Amino acid sequence: MKDSEIILGVLGGIGRRLWVGRALQEAFFGLCVLLFFLIAFRLAGAVQPSGIPATGIAVWLAVGAAMTAFVAYLAWRVSRRVTLPQAAAQADARAALRDELKSAYWFVSNSEHSAFIDTQVARAAATAGRLDPRTVVPGRPPRSLWAAAALGVMFAFVTWLAPQMSPYWDASAAPAPSQTQQQDLRALLQDMPRDARIEKLDQALETLQRSDATAEQKRRALEDMRDIAEQTNMEAAAAREGLARLAEVMKANPKLEKVAEAIQAGNNKVAMELLEEVRRDAAAQQDNTSGEQFPDAAVATQHQGNLAEQLDQSGRDLSGTPNISAPALDNLMKTLDQAAREMDAQNRVNQVQRRARENMVATAQRSAAPHNEFGSNRQDVANPEPSPDSGNADMQGASTFRRDSANREEDADGAREGSRTGSASGESPSMALTGKATQRLEAQLKLEAIQRRDEKGGDDDKDGKGWIYTGSQQQASSLDFEDVRARGGFDREAAAQHDRIPVRQKQVVKNYFLNLHESEKK
Amino acid sequence: MNTVVDRQIQAFREQFVSVREEISRIIVGNDDIVSGVMTCLLARGHVLLEGIPGVGKTKLVQTMADVLDLKFSRIQFTPDLMPGDIIGTNIVREDESGRKNFEFQHGPIFANMVLADEINRATPKTQSALLEAMQENSVSAAGSTHALEQPFFVLATQNPIEMEGTYPLPEAQMDRFFFKLRLDFPDVEQLHLIIDRTTREKEPVVKRVLQQGQILEMRDTARAIPVARPVQEYAIKITLATHPESVQGHEMTKKYVRFGSSPRGSQALILGAKVHALMNDRVHVSCEDVRAVTLPALRHRILLNFEAEAGRVDADTILQRILDWVPEPKE
Repeated sequence: MKDSEIILGVLGGIGRRLWVGRALQEAFFGLCVLLFFLIAFRLAGAVQPSGIPATGIAVWLAVGAAMTAFVAYLAWRVSRRVTLPQAAAQADARAALRDELKSAYWFVSNSEHSAFIDTQVARAAATAGRLDPRTVVPGRPPRSLWAAAALGVMFAFVTWLAPQMSPYWDASAAPAPSQTQQQDLRALLQDMPRDARIEKLDQALETLQRSDATAEQKRRALEDMRDIAEQTNMEAAAAREGLARLAEVMKANPKLEKVAEAIQAGNNKVAMELLEEVRRDAAAQQDNTSGEQFPDAAVATQHQGNLAEQLDQSGRDLSGTPNISAPALDNLMKTLDQAAREMDAQNRVNQVQRRARENMVATAQRSAAPHNEFGSNRQDVANPEPSPDSGNADMQGASTFRRDSANREEDADGAREGSRTGSASGESPSMALTGKATQRLEAQLKLEAIQRRDEKGGDDDKDGKGWIYTGSQQQASSLDFEDVRARGGFDREAAAQHDRIPVRQKQVVKNYFLNLHESEKK
Repeated sequence: MNTVVDRQIQAFREQFVSVREEISRIIVGNDDIVSGVMTCLLARGHVLLEGIPGVGKTKLVQTMADVLDLKFSRIQFTPDLMPGDIIGTNIVREDESGRKNFEFQHGPIFANMVLADEINRATPKTQSALLEAMQENSVSAAGSTHALEQPFFVLATQNPIEMEGTYPLPEAQMDRFFFKLRLDFPDVEQLHLIIDRTTREKEPVVKRVLQQGQILEMRDTARAIPVARPVQEYAIKITLATHPESVQGHEMTKKYVRFGSSPRGSQALILGAKVHALMNDRVHVSCEDVRAVTLPALRHRILLNFEAEAGRVDADTILQRILDWVPEPKE
């Protein structure tokens, strides 16, 4: 094999490996660009969903044209072959051959011949024969691969790992925050006795939980919840009144005085414990006296009617007799237990209703009016909260309500933070928005007092007119430093000899008069 | 491989190394200066040595004359030196028959190695007497031209700090020098060696290791080294980068340079690179060889402007920037 063929063969192999490496580099670079824009698009969509037009043929045509142009550009770059001179230069640089292959290739390609050229080509061929293209151009992954991998991980994160950013994340499949909270609310009702009222409330919560429920259905569910809460509140109020009357009756009996105080204090649990003690005492006395103290068998009959009536009947059982029969006590305890459950039901129903309303409000704001966005699009958001008076969802001031409640969230400890700018109900204190951080003028400039005196010889005025802003200390020190440095340079320049020419300029001036000045005169 | 060319290259390198080693018996350090002087000799150029007094400029040249079997002459340049003192003059001579005729009396320039000591002390008129000799290898006197014996090699020295009573070399004269080499002050170890060698009873004696014919053969070998076009383009780019008016001029060049290098600069780059490649046992010239000779080959060919002198920017700084800036050919 001729020397030139050896050189060309080795350079061809190196050129192919270089081309493959460059093609991979370009391909991964293109992938990096693509991933970058996808991530940017995803992040932009997450930050401002309504800011990116999802439709619009012009936009998609522009995006498609840009992508096509980019792919064509990449293809053009990849399609460029590595020439043999380029391969020779790369081989020289990578194998530290000091331009041996480059020179040899040039001589071979230009068909120049001499004894020295032939020797050079022969030496280069021997060097090329010792070269291993895999060593010169190792098959290591391109640097853009790592960048593409990093961007790929980032894209996977924003696409699949961060569910809110993912387009493949099915909002109906996974529970929304409001749905989760309403599920928790339904759990509140599980251990309650399942009467018609609780069943209706549970259905209303289920309606609110459903993602396919319409706004009208949700509005009706909220109205149902409000009706149930009102009914429960009325019943609870009646029960409280009955308990109050019962307590007044029980106070007349010395044995039940403490029980009456506990009922008045609203502590039904203590009252039940005290009644249990009274019952045990009464049972012990009955054993000793063989039933003399309980002649009236009528008090042992079961009470009928609603809770308030049952409480009144229990009061009547206790009035007029110092000794209390065991059945009367049993009836009283049952009635008190029922009253306690009624109070608990009232608490739970009210809690459920209040939190369901709040969840609805917060969900609507999160979906359409994020905290960092106070654009005009909030005017287009449907108001899920009907007016408590008219039931009209499009009541005036709705946008104000959404805007002002934007910060309403719950802390980790469950405490509601409340709007800092004031809600529609006016419950929250108002606070001005924090403006852009600025540096104090006193920090930028030094405040210096001018001893200005008025015509009457008084001191400087107090309204700030006698003050003037001057340069800061930093500015002043910088100027002083430059002044001192320039003074030193001036001293050196001024160190001239008798001919009044500074020492360092002497040679320059001499050259000027010897050469330049003479030539200019000519 | 044992071709004729290989043997030539090997002989070149051995002879080069032997001269350098023999000189190093007298001259302490300054290996690059010795190599530079040898490069000029083998590239058919002349060298300008610059350094403060006492660093061994004249000693180097004398030692080189001792090592090379060449005719050597020394001219001490002074302000009253006349061109005839260098070239020679026609004198009237009377033969045996009583006839009088002019006979050319050869001046000290008729030698193989000429040491022009403190060349900047002579007037420009006298300095110009060297112009023809350095470029044409011949001198003209009284209407006749006299060829100079080969190899003809001028080594000039100049003192950079004594400016009173000196005449800076004209640009045309400077351009005739192949290299301008600067001798630095020796360091502590080198000073110890200098004192040890020069303060004893016997100073080292060098022997002649290279004959006149061998030098001429080495010159031919150096000229025969091929240079590929990409490397040549690299040298040209460096030269063009020294021109402020060129589109390829470096930014610093445009600011501080009045005139860039002449084409002789490119020639010096390539010829010097050829010798440098041979010194490193290579048959081809690389960009590295070009870079190695750029400073001595171009530093005296760049004319700096007033702004550069006022700002104390020297040619070496500009050339170093140019070397960092000009890319090597990629294909």
